[in-house]
Amino acid sequence: MSQERKRADPLHLLPLTPVAFEILLALTTGERHGYAIMRAVEERTEGRTSLHAGTLYRALARLLEGGLLEERDERPQAGSDERRRYYALTDLGRAVAAAEARRLESQVGAARDHGLLEGMGGA
Amino acid sequence: MSGHRRRTVAEALYRVLLLCYPRDFRGRHGREMILLFLERERDAAARGKRITCWWGASVDAVRNGVGERLDAVGRRLRGAGSEGLDRDGERIGGGGMDALARDAAYAIRSLAKSPGFAAVAVLTIGLGIGANTAIFSVVRAVLLAPLPYDEPGELFVAWGQMRNRGVLTFPTSPPDFKDYQDQADLVEEMGAVFTFQAPLTGDGEPEQVEVGFVTPNFFRMLGITPILGRDFVSSDGTPNEAGVQPGSPGSLPTMVILSHALWQQRWGGDPGVVGRTIELQGPAEIVGVLPAGFELLMPAAAALASAPDLWTAMRVDFVNSPRNNVFLRPVGRLREGVTLEQAQAQVDRIAVSLASEDPVKTSAGYAVRLAPLQSELTADVRPVILALFGAVVFVLLIACANVSNLLLVRAAGRRRELAVRAALGGSRTRIVRQLLMESGIVAGMGALVGVVLAMLGVRALLALRPDDLPRIANVGIDGPVLGFAIAAAAGAALLFGLLPSLQASRVDLADSLNERGQAGSGTGRALLRNAVVVGEVALSLVLLIGAGLMMRSFVELSRVEPGYDPDDLVTFEVAIPFNRYPQPSARSELAAALRLRMEAIPGVVSAGAAFPMPLSGRVFNGRYGGEEARVNPEAFRQAGYRGVLPGYFEAMGTRLLAGRVFTEADFVDSAAVVLVDEKLARTLWPSESAVGKRFLVRATSQEPEEVEVIGVVEHQRHESLAAEGMETVFFTDRYLGGFATTWAVRAGVDPLTLLPAIRSAVGAVDAELPVADVRTMRDRVDEAMGPTRFALTLIGVFGAIAMLLATVGLYGVLASVVRQRTPEIGVRMAFGAESRAILRLVVRQGLGLAGLGIAVGLVAALLLTGVIESMLVGVRPTDPVTFAAIGAGFVLVSLLACWIPARRAARVDPVVALREE
Repeated sequence: MSQERKRADPLHLLPLTPVAFEILLALTTGERHGYAIMRAVEERTEGRTSLHAGTLYRALARLLEGGLLEERDERPQAGSDERRRYYALTDLGRAVAAAEARRLESQVGAARDHGLLEGMGGA
Repeated sequence: MSGHRRRTVAEALYRVLLLCYPRDFRGRHGREMILLFLERERDAAARGKRITCWWGASVDAVRNGVGERLDAVGRRLRGAGSEGLDRDGERIGGGGMDALARDAAYAIRSLAKSPGFAAVAVLTIGLGIGANTAIFSVVRAVLLAPLPYDEPGELFVAWGQMRNRGVLTFPTSPPDFKDYQDQADLVEEMGAVFTFQAPLTGDGEPEQVEVGFVTPNFFRMLGITPILGRDFVSSDGTPNEAGVQPGSPGSLPTMVILSHALWQQRWGGDPGVVGRTIELQGPAEIVGVLPAGFELLMPAAAALASAPDLWTAMRVDFVNSPRNNVFLRPVGRLREGVTLEQAQAQVDRIAVSLASEDPVKTSAGYAVRLAPLQSELTADVRPVILALFGAVVFVLLIACANVSNLLLVRAAGRRRELAVRAALGGSRTRIVRQLLMESGIVAGMGALVGVVLAMLGVRALLALRPDDLPRIANVGIDGPVLGFAIAAAAGAALLFGLLPSLQASRVDLADSLNERGQAGSGTGRALLRNAVVVGEVALSLVLLIGAGLMMRSFVELSRVEPGYDPDDLVTFEVAIPFNRYPQPSARSELAAALRLRMEAIPGVVSAGAAFPMPLSGRVFNGRYGGEEARVNPEAFRQAGYRGVLPGYFEAMGTRLLAGRVFTEADFVDSAAVVLVDEKLARTLWPSESAVGKRFLVRATSQEPEEVEVIGVVEHQRHESLAAEGMETVFFTDRYLGGFATTWAVRAGVDPLTLLPAIRSAVGAVDAELPVADVRTMRDRVDEAMGPTRFALTLIGVFGAIAMLLATVGLYGVLASVVRQRTPEIGVRMAFGAESRAILRLVVRQGLGLAGLGIAVGLVAALLLTGVIESMLVGVRPTDPVTFAAIGAGFVLVSLLACWIPARRAARVDPVVALREE
């Protein structure tokens, strides 16, 4: 499987791992650095998913390799002299995230149709 | 401030965890990961969850680090870039590497599920590997690393021996040396060395320096080239004409090569120093500078300084010097292809012909023994280091036994899981492999913990080190030492992993899937676990007995009466420049003047000087004999000689047993009066008073001289505290020629506070005399106890760790036995057994195991403690008191380990127990 084919066809990359999808989700609203991604995921999942450094950066490395993300310039943090690297979605990344969301949506829809979500508070 | 410090420590530890990842991954993301981790850690600390955070981070690092490494290998095998988004390699099919990755991922998940087990196992193995790595770093630096000379395997040292007098490491005289040098043609090159202290003046402040006195070929023979100037050439050693004293008018200048350290310190590394003239008991010319770090690595028995400040080429008349003037230490290099045995045979022939010309040599059993420099250098310390290495191997074995037991217990709890996997088609090899992978990961993490512990341990070792461990300063964690840690981890993983995984994989499907399977096939497993516990108890008992013997030695050593009172006593060196005080009488007058000045200092009780001083590492021996020695030279025996000044015995606190001590009146040329120690008095005159008796010595001439005993003093321990040492003759310093330069000053106050006054007193007599090597006698005594303290501390620490591990192991086994037997105990209690009986039942089982271990351990200790015999003082390696005390102590500790599980068993509620059944 070559890089070109991956880029050409977002569907080929599905399904995404939950971690990869969370990262893409966190970046849809704009570029972030590693710690901010971690916090965003934590907030969205209400603390249920807390990414350790290794898991996060290994997933970031894969997403970068696959062309779903790109690195932006390093820039200093407010209140600190440390420079950090920022990550942003590429067009491909946005397309893949959307495709994954549609895939999940169809699965969730099917689950609802089969009555799986009844009685699950708020469904 | 402390927050910042904490942060740096956290960062350093996390950097160690990052080593799990491949280098390029670390390079690319490491810095960001550290930042992220530190923020996480800070958040966690604020919520009081720091430990959870570290545990999570460690699991994360190992899991993703190993995964990333395996992915990297897989990518390299398949070509870059593919399968980028797969998780944990799980969806990648086929291929050995992928299966391995799956096993690793499975193992890490399974370990992360029982963090308690994982942490205990990793720490236990880490402790074992850490101790081994630290001691191996010592083995490597001190015993294994080749000497820093050219082709060190060809170098040897030559010991003069007088076998009939028990003297095995005697120096050699210049003419004898020359005979060997000329006649031993199997030896490519032979040089000689001697070290002494002398005052250095001119071109800077006067100071006392250690001088290395060498033949001009010495550095060339070792393969050492000066970094500045030139090496010595043979003309540098041309002797002065007969009768011309070195340093006197008309004598040739002394040629000097500086050590790198002195060059830096006194001349600030000035390259223009070559060609300059200094005063070293006469004019001396600097011709070169040695490379940094050059050390004279000679066996301790040679009593030479290891780092002289400067080196001079000896201008010695090798032909006409007297043959009884022995001081040279010969070092040689074998011709290529010649063995030491061949050279020894040749040297033996020369020794025989030398002895045939000298009746003294013949009667003394004269011989020369060649010994490889490398092994001879470490001969004294090798037993200590190997004993320590044996101790840490024991600790690692015990650690493996414990983890092995933990795994067996864990496997018992996982039998259903494994049985399900076997039922679903998992092959036995596959299950063994997965379980071994768990062991491998535990061992790998243990190795990481171990290396960190070893780094700390090495620092502690360096703080504790005794001075007589050659090259100990080079100890450190380097590549080969890391390699050793990895090999130890791999060996440990196999050792503690293989048996449990084989055991665990042999599951009987029907038996295990059935709830009742628990009690069924447990006997083989239980037997194995019991054997492991017996083994650990035995191993740790051996270590503790070793520690106990060292402890007894240490106590013995601190109770030794050294023959002087080391408290309130300061010693120092005042070297006399021989060119300015060439006559013995002038040196005597100088010494007397110094003594008067020092005794006049307020607070000084008495002052005296001697050569050599006890525990100074310097030795001066000669022979003595009664009347019969006049006709029969074989009746001569070896004694320690001392030249002393009046006031010496009072200053040292050495008690007078009979007669009187020296007075100023004895310090005239003609007086041939001596004091002897009680040991010599007992040997020569066992049933009479020695005072007034006459006997023979040979101190100043070739012929026996008669001296008269005026007093007897107690025996001093001179070369070491541990060994009693030889008989001693105390001459007046005047009689021996005025060499007493080591002063002893006893004070009524802290003697070190008197130093400024002592320095000015010496300066008032002669402003060019340096005061050097200031040490309290208490320091010298402490230092002499150093090797014993070192061995005691280390063996004690390892013994304590071993006992702790063995106790935990015993407890663990009993606890799980009680758990397994709960239904049975319930039945017994339902049928009326009292809880006291149940208590006894469990304790009996535990003590049975411990007792067997103790018995095996006692026998093993009897066989093994012989290896530390050379380190023991005043106690035999089979000392029954130590064996009994340690054995009894161990029974008590085992009782404690049994008590908790036994109590638990005795409190079993039969109703609950039977319901479980």
